[in-house]
Amino acid sequence: MIHAAVFLLSFSSLIFEVLLTRIFSIGQWNHLSFMVISIALFGFAASGILLSILDARTKGWRERLSATGTVRILVTFYSLSAITSFLVLNHMPLDYFRLPIEPAQIIYLLIAYVLLSIPFFFTGLIVSIAYSFIPEKTAFIYFASMAGSAFGAIFPAPLLPLLGEGRLIISSAILPLVILILPVSKSTGKKRLAKSRDIGKGVCATAGIAITVVAAVLVFGAESIIEVQPSPYKSLSQILRFPDTSLSETETRLRGRIDSVKSPYIRFAPGLSLRFTDALPSQWAAYRDGDDQFVFYRFNTQKDLKFCEETLAFAGYRLSPNPDHVLLIQRGGGSGIPCAVASGAKKISVIEQDPGIARMVGKQYGLSVVNENHRAFLTRTDERFAVIHIENWGTSLPGAAALSQEYDFTIEAFIEYLNHLTEDGILILSRKLLLPPADSIRIWATVYQSLKTLGIENPEHHIAVLRNWDTFSFFVSRQPLENTETIKEFARKQNFDLVFIRDIRPDMVNRFNIFDEPYHFMEINRLLEAYRTGAEKSFFKTYFLDVAPQSDDRPFPSRFLKWTRLDELYKSTGSRLYTLLLSGEIVVSVVFIEALLVSILLLAIPLLAISKRLKKPSLPQIFYFFSVGAGFMFVELFFIKKYVILFGDPVISLTVVLSGILVFSAIGGLGANRIGKRGLRNATLLLIAILLLLFFSLDSMMYRMLGFSDISRLIAAILILFPVGIMMGLPFPIGMRYLLESPIQRAYAWAVNGCASVLTSILSVPIALSMGINLLMACAVSAYFFAFISARKQ
Amino acid sequence: MSAGEIPLDSPAQKAKRTQMISDQIIQRGIADKKVIRAMSEVPRHLFVPEELTGKAYSDRPLPIGEGQTISQPYIVALMTESLNLEGDERVLEIGTGSGYQAAILAAIVKEVFTIEIKKSLYKRSINILNILKIKNIKTRHGDGYFGWEESTPFDCIMITAAIDHIPPPLLKQLKNGGKLILPLGNPFSYQNLVLVTKQEENYRVRQITGVLFVPMTGYALDRFTKPSGDMQ
Repeated sequence: MIHAAVFLLSFSSLIFEVLLTRIFSIGQWNHLSFMVISIALFGFAASGILLSILDARTKGWRERLSATGTVRILVTFYSLSAITSFLVLNHMPLDYFRLPIEPAQIIYLLIAYVLLSIPFFFTGLIVSIAYSFIPEKTAFIYFASMAGSAFGAIFPAPLLPLLGEGRLIISSAILPLVILILPVSKSTGKKRLAKSRDIGKGVCATAGIAITVVAAVLVFGAESIIEVQPSPYKSLSQILRFPDTSLSETETRLRGRIDSVKSPYIRFAPGLSLRFTDALPSQWAAYRDGDDQFVFYRFNTQKDLKFCEETLAFAGYRLSPNPDHVLLIQRGGGSGIPCAVASGAKKISVIEQDPGIARMVGKQYGLSVVNENHRAFLTRTDERFAVIHIENWGTSLPGAAALSQEYDFTIEAFIEYLNHLTEDGILILSRKLLLPPADSIRIWATVYQSLKTLGIENPEHHIAVLRNWDTFSFFVSRQPLENTETIKEFARKQNFDLVFIRDIRPDMVNRFNIFDEPYHFMEINRLLEAYRTGAEKSFFKTYFLDVAPQSDDRPFPSRFLKWTRLDELYKSTGSRLYTLLLSGEIVVSVVFIEALLVSILLLAIPLLAISKRLKKPSLPQIFYFFSVGAGFMFVELFFIKKYVILFGDPVISLTVVLSGILVFSAIGGLGANRIGKRGLRNATLLLIAILLLLFFSLDSMMYRMLGFSDISRLIAAILILFPVGIMMGLPFPIGMRYLLESPIQRAYAWAVNGCASVLTSILSVPIALSMGINLLMACAVSAYFFAFISARKQ
Repeated sequence: MSAGEIPLDSPAQKAKRTQMISDQIIQRGIADKKVIRAMSEVPRHLFVPEELTGKAYSDRPLPIGEGQTISQPYIVALMTESLNLEGDERVLEIGTGSGYQAAILAAIVKEVFTIEIKKSLYKRSINILNILKIKNIKTRHGDGYFGWEESTPFDCIMITAAIDHIPPPLLKQLKNGGKLILPLGNPFSYQNLVLVTKQEENYRVRQITGVLFVPMTGYALDRFTKPSGDMQ
């Protein structure tokens, strides 16, 4: 029974974790998601701490806790706590923006931390009991745990569209209650599960039935209680308060929830000239996770599209009139489509990654829509386009996208775009204008370096930038932009401002949309001068924000924070500490400090509680399990982040990597008994060798894989995980089985491993942001190397 | 809320208001006496939810429910001062919200017209404005995108709703020489202001960086002269 309990709880708790991220993505902002879920995962570690204290203090705990009745009770508590914590979280007035002004919000945050950690605590407790009580079955327990988690990673994908977040989280929470009807096995390996009083069997059964009934009522009859609502500050919540506005359709997927809204008050025209005096066509919109909007325009005649000709981005179509083939890479927004239609393009292709939005675009406009990762598309196609227009407006909340991993604006991406332009084709890129200048400088530098990489001389002659009061557009060509008068005239007529063009002078800028100083112009020109004199590194070093170009190894285009200049940034926001907490990067650092403190507390308590006559875990043992936990997590996160470029979506990447690595490590764990203690060092060395091989070869493999079909890419990605996963499945169960001597040590090792996992998952974020994703693999190698050294000492 | 339930003002609230004026408004460079007087007189605490009354005069925006905020006092002052009001203007506000900005404007100008699309906010704001007996505010529940056509033209227009373009109908309702102002950015973060001035068929847009903006360093500041800013 305990193996079944380990499998089912691992399965259910991973679904719980995946769905929590979905719930937070819709209900709150991503910072809060990271903040709460990271800390909640300490529930796993806390269970090991409890067991190690119990073993130190209480006689007979093993028999009591491993009794069938106790397992049933713990499973029942898991289901109850998972449902309760979701319901409380869903209705608790936790408001991120009220944190600094309402003391009660701290209480709500603490409640969220504690409640959400409880289901993980019970899961961890069952697993830890199994490891501690039946060490000879460690390999099977490991297999059950990993396999359960792997299935938990895949499970939400097909069921979310059918059930939605609320129903699925409740349904999956009660699945482990199947344990209550399983017969008890007669023997379990060498030891029998204690048959001492099957405590409260009737109570468990009753509770199980009651929980199932409540769950059924919630799932089938109480949608309003379990429906996840977006934050009131999100765009969807705002538009739904308008009269004559309604939700017409909702689609839920692992990638995100798409809500379609019909309203006469949706009017989207970013970059529209103040000289435009007519009406906009009517519109409707789809919102992703309550905020990112994609707007659809209803137009019957060209007259309806007149407004497009007076938007900033349309300058690109003036440079390439009546284009043969336009490629639109849409990341929200939607205004690029009517612009392309207004240009008189003979053919328009749209790349949209979200299947729901892709379907809507095809239906609304009758255009050819490619529902694919745009980097994969560009790798596979040889086609060239007269215009490529990338529309990506970013998030509505500043700082919220700091952690976002996007491959639209890396040097490698721009090389792809430029390679797919016709000789006189134009690349158009539209974004929000930021102050102080950040995004515009970074993109300029990225474009410049991409052109240079392609061997183009005087790259600055190929770039033009225009802006209005809150957006900017880039125009890039493989040919020098000779006809600058077209752009200048367009800008003058529409009251747009030049920011950069090949023959720009100071008197040409900051004329219509006036800043105190022409900041963007000044800084881009300073950067150009730096490139000309070979001093660009110095520019990036001294500029008070991080605006260096991003690469595929470090694809975080919305990340600008420099820790050494935090003081200046703080002052520029009005010396309000709270505004800094809107930055995802700062939240990660705060969470890491919290996690470190929690870890120290959790790990110190048992060492103090364990009496001197009992054998405490030794330092090499502690280092070993910490290193193994850290190494495992670094590898997992390395692949999750690396695979985003293959699948175009972090959630899909997470699902593939988690399920792959967990399944393969489960299989690997079955070999732990055969390999034994003697094989541990060799197994660890082999793992390190495989990781190093991947470190040096994965990038080139992945760029080839981008050109594969979707299925082939998926298969190849999973195959790469196979040797890694198999070998990663050995160190933990072998260590548990052969390096530890007592249940105290095993329980404590479980806790150490859990703390390492949480700390590593948080730490990997700033490592990737600051130093690149590849460094995560270097960290993994280092961690397993420490594990190797620690194992040798034992 | 009725007049009998919450005192309209108290010495404690007045003291907080005075502190706000001194620390957040005057110290940050707001010098327009009319604006300072208006912000000294209008009881901001009446415009925030009851549970946040104690925080009404703090240097931050406050949530007023339904995902809306009452702006940070400094931003309200800066927006009002940027309009350079003489006192005889007719001002249109798009997005009444809490009603506080409208009350500040009403303390300075001749007439204020304010529109709010969200019914609950509209009702709450007119309730408070009625309690305060402010006579020169006309309120409307409706779509501010099309302005207030029957009362055009306006000397000033203030847009407090989040927008990605300035509605053409509003520009048409602005007098020649009139000003339109709107805040950019998330209210919980820092905000800059956009001030549009109409001159015949042309528009001049100026960004007012609101909050202690760190000026750009680098030799570029010395190398480049200030642009004239003249329209071509």
